[in-house]
Amino acid sequence: MSAAGEGGGALAPPGGLATLRALAELRWLLLLRRLRRPGGVPEVVARVALYVIAIPAGLAFAALAGVGSFQAVRIGRGLQATVPVAALFFGVWQTWTVVSLSISERDALDLRRFLVYPIPPAQVFGHGLAASLAGDPFAAFWCLLLAGAFGGAAVARPGAWLLLFALVLVAFVATTVALVALLQELLARLLRGRRARELLVAAVYVGVAGILAWTAGHPGALLRLLRGARALRWLAYPAALAEGAAVELYASRALAALPWIAALVLAGVATVWVAYRLALASAREGGGGAPRAAATGGGGWPLPGRLGALFEKEAKYVLRHPVATLLLLILPPFAALVAWKVLPRLPPGTGEIVHALPVLGFALYAHMAAQIFWLNAFGWERGGGRVWFLVPVAPAEVLLAKNLAAYALSAALFAAAATAAIAVGGPLPSWALLAAVALHAGIAPWLLAAGNFVSVLNPRAAASTVQRGGSLSPLSSLAGMVIVSGAAGAFAIPVVFAVRRDAPWLLVLGWAALGLAGAIVYRLALPFAARLLARRREPLLDAIAGDDD
Amino acid sequence: MTLAIETEGLTRLFDGRAAVEGLALSVPEGAFYGFLGPNGAGKSTTIKMLTGLLAPTSGRAQVLGTDLAHDPLSVKRRVGVVPDGLALFERLSGAEQLRIHGQLYGLERREAGRRADELLGALELADDAGKLVSEYSHGMRKKLALGCALIHGPRLLFLDEPFEGIDAVAVSGIRRLLQDLVARGALTIFLTSHVLEVVERIVTHVGIIREGRLAAQGTLAEVRGELTLEEVFIRTVGDERGEVPGLSWLGEGT
Repeated sequence: MSAAGEGGGALAPPGGLATLRALAELRWLLLLRRLRRPGGVPEVVARVALYVIAIPAGLAFAALAGVGSFQAVRIGRGLQATVPVAALFFGVWQTWTVVSLSISERDALDLRRFLVYPIPPAQVFGHGLAASLAGDPFAAFWCLLLAGAFGGAAVARPGAWLLLFALVLVAFVATTVALVALLQELLARLLRGRRARELLVAAVYVGVAGILAWTAGHPGALLRLLRGARALRWLAYPAALAEGAAVELYASRALAALPWIAALVLAGVATVWVAYRLALASAREGGGGAPRAAATGGGGWPLPGRLGALFEKEAKYVLRHPVATLLLLILPPFAALVAWKVLPRLPPGTGEIVHALPVLGFALYAHMAAQIFWLNAFGWERGGGRVWFLVPVAPAEVLLAKNLAAYALSAALFAAAATAAIAVGGPLPSWALLAAVALHAGIAPWLLAAGNFVSVLNPRAAASTVQRGGSLSPLSSLAGMVIVSGAAGAFAIPVVFAVRRDAPWLLVLGWAALGLAGAIVYRLALPFAARLLARRREPLLDAIAGDDD
Repeated sequence: MTLAIETEGLTRLFDGRAAVEGLALSVPEGAFYGFLGPNGAGKSTTIKMLTGLLAPTSGRAQVLGTDLAHDPLSVKRRVGVVPDGLALFERLSGAEQLRIHGQLYGLERREAGRRADELLGALELADDAGKLVSEYSHGMRKKLALGCALIHGPRLLFLDEPFEGIDAVAVSGIRRLLQDLVARGALTIFLTSHVLEVVERIVTHVGIIREGRLAAQGTLAEVRGELTLEEVFIRTVGDERGEVPGLSWLGEGT
């Protein structure tokens, strides 16, 4: 072998550029291998489609941001200059954070897996952050938008100040990405302990109820509370600091902008450092937190037969997923907020149907929120998926149990959101309640019947994290959009008739009829999906029980 | 002699290539049968066919007197399987895993719970019964998978590499449990393993598969003769490797 005695010379220094290149290559190869599997081509198409949508949309919004920025720089001072700046930074920060925490494809890099290699973990973490920026179509959209703002400012007033403005934008992006990573680490830690999750859910409910009780009958109290809440803007410190710097720069006060820029850079560095330390601590704990569940064979849910046991397993899987907790945390307060802020602003004279729309909307949204569980029903099984083919249960029963568990979660979300909306916005007429229930129950069999085919045809090993990107492939996401849009389109037909004739009861009848048809379709489709599941045993197990992702 | 497993001309092709070809197994009831072969010889494919996971391209398999092609569900009810990659739900606790597994085989919840507790004790997992499986070590997972395969009281147990990747203490514990079950006449065991020293100590019957074909089969004494099982295995499957080429740079430091 010609390499004799070359061992020392052949090794790159730990964490050097060569090691980082190898890391990047490894991730690239893993991605390629995933895309080369059966079903990979449609996934490539889905990814490309996301970019095809994100880039033109980003360019269009960049033009708008450019115009706004141009005018603000020309005006220089006052509200007309500061409002567009605040809107730009807070808008981008808010959407970036929300989307990254819920939808984005940011593929969390498992630090634990790389601790074995002689690469400084900080570099692995940094690589993960950079990859999350480079590989995310949504990030491309926001970066284009910020570039548009920069372009507008450059045209309005060319000069050296633009270097500082570019630094502000880069530091803003870096700090936002770092803050997203920090929030993900914090959420992961918080949601790991079951007891902590339960306490958190309880605290949010008690908090919302307390605020509502306190403000009831005191019209000024809420306003005072909101004025006090202005300080909360500092929670979005990347946006607040970037706004401070940009306002000064737009007003040609470069010196006054320097402390803001320094604070922004320092905040970014501190955020990255804290996020990294938390990630490293988690990785070195080996998962840590060791959640516990039933410790004896006794107990369990008193449900009869095999289907009962199947449902218990599925329901426990859903309930132990952090997304379920997060949804139960977020949706009811959000529904209360909509009822509180939106309903009073509806013009007088709008019909009862329009007033009922928020609750009806939550009936549909509850299914969308739970879609990871009906579009990738096998995603969390790992080796457990083999059980379905070893034990004497029918594949149709397996799918039915999964569907029932996903429906139960969706129903719980809907019930909680509707209760919160009614508690704040006042009671709904009985037809509206019936219609909401008919919509929620009626659309379910359509979604679940179609979702079963997506789950079987395009399964993906999913992580128990709050990111949707980790739970659904882009192709399944796209399929979900098509399924929900199609079903929503069909269920919109009764709305047209009901509004035209001002006959709300038509909604109940129409949705109940569509639901009945859905139940028949579901019953007919289930055996097909079950046969497909039996036929696709090997690719499904390869996808969910394989370890190469 | 009643046979727990009997196959005739069992063949499975993948893309025209035979993974298993013309297999004629005879596994007597109450036997502890070691099914040996090098990597890629067709052991796992055979187990998949015998447990109804994979349809044979041709041939016939009778398991516990039932033709697999005609009534796979009846066979599944009476056999337990520890597959190569294990079959465990990571987000259930060990206790939940066993109980729900039992219920899936048709046990009443209370009975499944009672058996789960007994198995947790027997497998020395009682202290970790409340942990999620994702927190289990590899050895604990193997034990739990064995518990899942036993909870419904199968008459035939398929174990694919049960000793792979676990320490000597765990191997010893599992080995004793399996030997005890066979000695009591409670079940037949069909096992694949690369740990020949352990296999030699516990099996009563041996089958050796090479490139998809059965190369030897019989009682341990018949197959082994005067040699050790390892010697017979190497002779049967062939050890054609010569000197290890290259690697001269190893040991010269970095």
